[in-house]
Amino acid sequence: MADTRTIQVTVNGRPHRCQVEPRTHLVDFLRDELGLKGSHLGCEHGVCGACTVELDGRIVRGCLTLAVQADGAQVQTIEGVSESGVIRDLQQAFVAHNALQCGFCTPGMLMAAKELVETRPEATRAEVREWISGNYCRCTGYHAIVDAVCDVLHQRKEARS
Amino acid sequence: MKAAAFDYVKADSVAQVIELLQQHGDDARVLAGGQTLLATLNMRLSEPALLIDINGLAALRGIERQGEVLRIGALVTHAEIERSELVARHAPLLAQAAPHIAHRAIRNRGTWGGSLAYADPAAEWPACLLALGGTVVVQGPGGVRRIAADDFFLGLYTTALAPDEIVIAGEVPVAREGQWQGMTQLARRHGDYAVVGLAATAQRRGAALASVRLAFMGVAATPWRARRTEELLEGREPDDATLAMAAASLRAEIEPLPDLTHSSETKRHLAGVLLQRLLACARRDSKG
Amino acid sequence: MELNGDVLVVAPRDQVWNALNDTAVLARCIPGCEEMEALGETERRARVAVKVGPVRARFTGHVRLLDVRPGEGCTLQFEGSGGAAGMARGQSTLQLSEDPEGTRVSYTAQATVGGKLGQVGGRLIDAAAMQMADQFFQALRREFQPPAAEPAAPAPAVDAAPAAPEAAALPAPGPAAAAVPAALAAPSTTPASEGVRVLWFAMGVLSTAIGVWLGATLFG
Repeated sequence: MADTRTIQVTVNGRPHRCQVEPRTHLVDFLRDELGLKGSHLGCEHGVCGACTVELDGRIVRGCLTLAVQADGAQVQTIEGVSESGVIRDLQQAFVAHNALQCGFCTPGMLMAAKELVETRPEATRAEVREWISGNYCRCTGYHAIVDAVCDVLHQRKEARS
Repeated sequence: MKAAAFDYVKADSVAQVIELLQQHGDDARVLAGGQTLLATLNMRLSEPALLIDINGLAALRGIERQGEVLRIGALVTHAEIERSELVARHAPLLAQAAPHIAHRAIRNRGTWGGSLAYADPAAEWPACLLALGGTVVVQGPGGVRRIAADDFFLGLYTTALAPDEIVIAGEVPVAREGQWQGMTQLARRHGDYAVVGLAATAQRRGAALASVRLAFMGVAATPWRARRTEELLEGREPDDATLAMAAASLRAEIEPLPDLTHSSETKRHLAGVLLQRLLACARRDSKG
Repeated sequence: MELNGDVLVVAPRDQVWNALNDTAVLARCIPGCEEMEALGETERRARVAVKVGPVRARFTGHVRLLDVRPGEGCTLQFEGSGGAAGMARGQSTLQLSEDPEGTRVSYTAQATVGGKLGQVGGRLIDAAAMQMADQFFQALRREFQPPAAEPAAPAPAVDAAPAAPEAAALPAPGPAAAAVPAALAAPSTTPASEGVRVLWFAMGVLSTAIGVWLGATLFG
């Protein structure tokens, strides 16, 4: 029996108490233990962004965080932020602008975009491009994704005024 | 790929960390942000027996002005530095450099102390510390000691940190009246390690610059100061003639190491370009 | 990756040659060397433990010796594998020549890197290669110091912290020689061909190892 630790972690608002091996990544724990397959595995060394999730309100690489490090923390995955509706406008903009094709990068893109529109409401197009350069997409060529994010920035700005 | 199995301890004191390091030697690794360590483990380029998680050490957190020094705890994340008002006011160079470090998700976990201890020659914090003339504060069995940036970076991924010591903070001098600080870098993708980068500070004396410090990223085995070029700039105005002279001096002084994608000559050229661009920002009437 | 260097060893050429012929000397000088084995007349295999930055890798290297000119130099072909970390293959040359102050050792190495290392990039291969070569030659120079200066314990795992800051200051084209006392330890003699093979094996192993462990920091 492998050496395991007990962690208590709240995921998408639900508390969980689980046994994990120290070596288990947060993203593998979410996918394999909790069945939350929305966060994806790509490079497994922090570069592609497909595993991006929120830990205590900030995006992190699920492959560069150990599950044991999430003990006592709050985690939000794409499932959670989707269900709660906080990224409804981003999801709709992605569809409208054809900002996804195979959809593999999309959860990570949405998590990254969410933190952008929340913390940089005045971001320019150039800043959006810099921000999402941490998420790889093989299908769309990125422009549509940038268009979608800029659209949401504009919408939210209008909504505030 | 997944990491191989390892034992894990969440330390609750610096003393415990030091004891574990002494006990396990190189079989134990310190886990701070983990953005480099965990990637290394995932690629199975290292298989330590034990990870010592130091994220519970509250004493290593926090940004604080202490007299003429800004003390940044080892566990402060890149993102915290990015949004810190104290840093923006007292060490604007760091605020300028922070957005260049990888991407937001990495910055939310990666740490100031981790970056300094790791000492990647193309990383931002080691070069910034060198440009600011800062100090690394470390703790080991012999207690706390302070190591000047000029004495800290010794070779490729090699610092003055002993195997049983950890970085507990980094200190930078508070920006003085009339001081200019700036940085710039070239990278293929935003957030990549710099192909060539430059962090610089100087004291303004009227239109002229004094006490110039030029710390380059990505040109040597460590962050590298162009000392001859610094001396040449002493007391001069950064006008076009001076910049051209400085670039010529730099190109003569620098011996960049090539890599698989950039030749020594390319790096030499790029370093000169960055020097001229950045020093142009140091002009008194410049908005840069 | 291309590496070349020029090192002055304050000792007569035949003494340097003999030292480089001595398997025990070489095993001490190659950073992290754990094992060395003869596979035939012109072939060697070694296992080296490497530490650069966060990387800890064990790799095995094979070296084949060519064009031996006793007392002068030779060429060797090498390939090495670090398992999942990747592999490297290449070639290096060694030239010994007289110098007023002792012996000039000139070396070149070219290597191609593949696997994880090739994938992640080659940002620091040359820098790490230089560090390894510096460590090797520093150790070699120590062999010629007075007996009071004991060489390091056999085959220690190389620590990424070099003994002297000079290693960091050395530029790519050629490390400047340390001034080594002229007093020489008398190395044991072995046939010249054996020695030069081992030396080149060492260089090959060094060069290959460099590529293998460099991978760790090449992301980003």
